Amino acid sequence: MLIFSVFKTLTDQTVTVELKNDLSITGVLKSVDQFLNIRLDNIKVADEARHPHMMAVKNCFIRGSVVRYVQLPAEHVDTQLLEDATRRGTRKHCILARVT
Amino acid sequence: MDPSVTGIQEPFDLIRLSLSERVFVKLRGDRQLTGILHAYDGHMNLIMSDVEETIMIVDPEAATNGQGVVNIAKRKMEMLFVRGDGVILVSPPART
Amino acid sequence: MDESPRPPSDQSPPPPPPGAQSHTGSPTDFLKGIVGKRVIVRLTSGVDYRGVLSCLDGFMNIALEQTEEHVNGVVTNRYGDAFIRGNNVLYISAAEPL
Repeated sequence: MLIFSVFKTLTDQTVTVELKNDLSITGVLKSVDQFLNIRLDNIKVADEARHPHMMAVKNCFIRGSVVRYVQLPAEHVDTQLLEDATRRGTRKHCILARVT
Repeated sequence: MDPSVTGIQEPFDLIRLSLSERVFVKLRGDRQLTGILHAYDGHMNLIMSDVEETIMIVDPEAATNGQGVVNIAKRKMEMLFVRGDGVILVSPPART
Repeated sequence: MDESPRPPSDQSPPPPPPGAQSHTGSPTDFLKGIVGKRVIVRLTSGVDYRGVLSCLDGFMNIALEQTEEHVNGVVTNRYGDAFIRGNNVLYISAAEPL
């Protein structure tokens, strides 16, 4: 839940999603759900030569389970707030809707 | 349960004590990370900053006596979400 | 119905667990018994972790102290503390008498 909230605060920011198949997609985070499925707009694939079929794709939906990493814009992540919310959330991380 | 030295009662306590510390994370796919831990959840999804990733690429061809030659690739990332299902092990910094 | 009056004597008493000389009981009892002891945790990948078991939870997430990572019998890493995500665990073995 906490991580879900974090992603919600990052909507309309540019992120890079690295998939378990090594495909790396940079785009604008349009939405996220509780499974951490991700919708990206304006996407750009890192190594287009290796993935030519992705060149025409403008936006995509990424199933959460195939994600390895998401690189986040550090300037939009309040690490202190994250740590506090994580500590508070131990076992019942619910009360952090106010991570703005 | 067991008041073994540290007062850790459940494994996640170990992780909680590592918040804002530099941790070592071993991942599936011969990858490992070091970085500063800022958030985690029950799936072991992690958010870390100042991350260095090390990928070990074993070349079984150029094997020298059982141990294959290991090529190492490194990269740095400023702020990273790590999906928990890839996590094998998390180790906090040496405890004092 | 026709078998109902079977004498219970030969079946109902649970047989004593064979071969368990010093410990009996459920897997849970075993796990409770090894907290604080030296253990070997084998992952499905074949990697072993030897250390002192601090604690574990219902997912078999494990906290170890003084941990050595063994790959093919060779120590490949040492950790003061280590958290192991439970889904990777194949088994936990006691490495000292209980």
